[in-house]
Amino acid sequence: MSFRDAGPPVALIVIFGLFAVLSPQFRSLTNVQNIVDSAAVLAVVTCGITFVLMMGSIDLSAAGVMGASALTVSLLVANNRNDNDFGFLAIVAAVLLGCVFGGLSGLALVLLKVPSFMATLGVSAVGLGVATLMFAGVQPNISDTMLESWAVERFLGFSYLAWIAAACILLGWLIQRYTRLGRYAYAIGGAEEVLTLSGVKVKPYKVAVFVFAGAFYGLGGVMVTSQLGAGLVQAGNGYDFSAITAAVVGGTLLTGGRGGVLHSAVGVLLVMVLTNGLVQIGVSPYWQGGVEGVIVVAAVAAAVIPQRRRNQVVK
Amino acid sequence: MRISTRPAAAIMSLSLAAAVLSGCSTEQAGGGGDTAAADGACEASKVRLVGQVRNESNPYEASWLNGGDTFAKSVGLTQERLTYGGDSTKQQEQISQILAGDTKCLVMNVLPNGDSDTAPIVKGADQAGAYLVTQWNKPADLKPADHKTWLSHITYNGEESGQQIGDALAEKIGSGGIIALQGVLDTAAAKDRFKGLQASLAKNPDMKLLDQQAANFSRAEALTVTKTLLAKHGDKVKGIWAANDDMALGALEALQQAGKSGKVAVAGIDAVPDAVAAIQKGDMTATVSSDGAWQGAIGLAIGFCYATGKLKVADTAADNRAFFAKQFLITQENAAEFAQPKTDPADFECGNVFNRKVGPLT
Repeated sequence: MSFRDAGPPVALIVIFGLFAVLSPQFRSLTNVQNIVDSAAVLAVVTCGITFVLMMGSIDLSAAGVMGASALTVSLLVANNRNDNDFGFLAIVAAVLLGCVFGGLSGLALVLLKVPSFMATLGVSAVGLGVATLMFAGVQPNISDTMLESWAVERFLGFSYLAWIAAACILLGWLIQRYTRLGRYAYAIGGAEEVLTLSGVKVKPYKVAVFVFAGAFYGLGGVMVTSQLGAGLVQAGNGYDFSAITAAVVGGTLLTGGRGGVLHSAVGVLLVMVLTNGLVQIGVSPYWQGGVEGVIVVAAVAAAVIPQRRRNQVVK
Repeated sequence: MRISTRPAAAIMSLSLAAAVLSGCSTEQAGGGGDTAAADGACEASKVRLVGQVRNESNPYEASWLNGGDTFAKSVGLTQERLTYGGDSTKQQEQISQILAGDTKCLVMNVLPNGDSDTAPIVKGADQAGAYLVTQWNKPADLKPADHKTWLSHITYNGEESGQQIGDALAEKIGSGGIIALQGVLDTAAAKDRFKGLQASLAKNPDMKLLDQQAANFSRAEALTVTKTLLAKHGDKVKGIWAANDDMALGALEALQQAGKSGKVAVAGIDAVPDAVAAIQKGDMTATVSSDGAWQGAIGLAIGFCYATGKLKVADTAADNRAFFAKQFLITQENAAEFAQPKTDPADFECGNVFNRKVGPLT
């Protein structure tokens, strides 16, 4: 990371240090474990959204895709609604469903020329619709031991979910760094015209990025189901905007071409440290929302200071 | 010009397709219905029943609509099930569409999205002469008694339920600290329920409120907040008071993940099936039921009784036009009775529809 990217990690360290000084409970080992565990789902979703943002598109489909995947996985593993017990295959199915939804967004973008903002908003609504149909009035509670263990069992102090998130971040980073998909995502966000003029067919890559992001949302839905022990239509509620916030706080630009998976991981930690710290130091719940918003804006402002150029246009 | 009509054509063809689909799934209710001319003199078979809630993706509102279906079936009709996804604009659109149709014998049992959504619904129903029962949300100065066909507004005393589960927690833990998970802070339900908890704390001085946080009625948010609070207060937490069951269930998961299952008492409100099951198993201490299935049926039943002329607005006591309905504290002793949402047909006889009134809404 160059000096240009140093803003968010510095902000993370400063905020963490500040809370640690203010609250002894905040710096306790249990609480640090707790922050990392809580960050797991958001980290996976943000990982997916980062690729879309790098490309200069936007993705609001996380909430719907996660809802559909949560219902899918909870109805396919051992549960109280039917006799299915597909175990790991159910998780694969939910992730693939995420890919399908991602593919829909991507195809709507490149074939029908629907702006990604609208296409993904629509796909989110479709996902919620599918989830509601599967929900059919009775909440599926899971009894699959493997899926339940993800949230409960620990390895080296952190829950399995946290390790899954870490694996996703690593995978995302490798793909971003070493594959054509990752490199083209950057290039599309940076200068799509140049890429097209040099003879690269960008459309398949755009669709592929959305499919890839969809897989992460699908996995996110599975992880929420593991945490809550039940398949909820609202499993992804709020994750679309929290993930975009985390990515931007971490230094991924909405205009594309800048940032990446590691930046986003830092952003996720920043957001989680913030929500956790405000509770730990005892800020009244009536103030938290507002205080959090101010700090996020301040953190983004601080993070982009090294990148600020004169006459730069911000939209 | 040709280009600009294309999206319109696409939308029209899609809507047509949707219309065909909906034509298959629901029967055209009412038909002509011109025979029922005078007020409150509809033939029972000509009454059109509409139930409207936010969405079917939570067990409470799903049981509401199912309760409505059961009532409709008992009088040989079908209920039109409407859901607006918690979107106020969509709710108003649905209401105007319904009111644009045949409204002579129309009965609507509506859950307004928020207080401010009630006024336009009431106005529309008034103009169309449709029978309307609303539940939960209305502004204080808007009263059914000032309207002809807005028959009744039913709601529940949140202070009472908040206090009931607070007392149940106090009884369970004896003395010690509790944490409170609040709902969406600017809603009346969250405010009233928390006020009830404060009353309970005053009554049970051995129970101390260690911390209170908003988890916005959400299971996922409650999970995170509870984990954070458990890290903050550790073993001092003996009980968790949640302003609804979804948050209580989230708190249960948090306890499990922290290895504290069964060591902390948890109470919620709403009596969603999973919470009732958790109470039966002894994982949860208490919840309060407003009886969603009854709510879904009672609005239609009241409307049906007025539409068919068995009850008359002029003869109705003012108390019955806006009231608090009875709610039930569920603990391990009586949880089995509430395990399956069901309705008792006797509750919906025209002479009994106001039997669950526990006090006037002032």
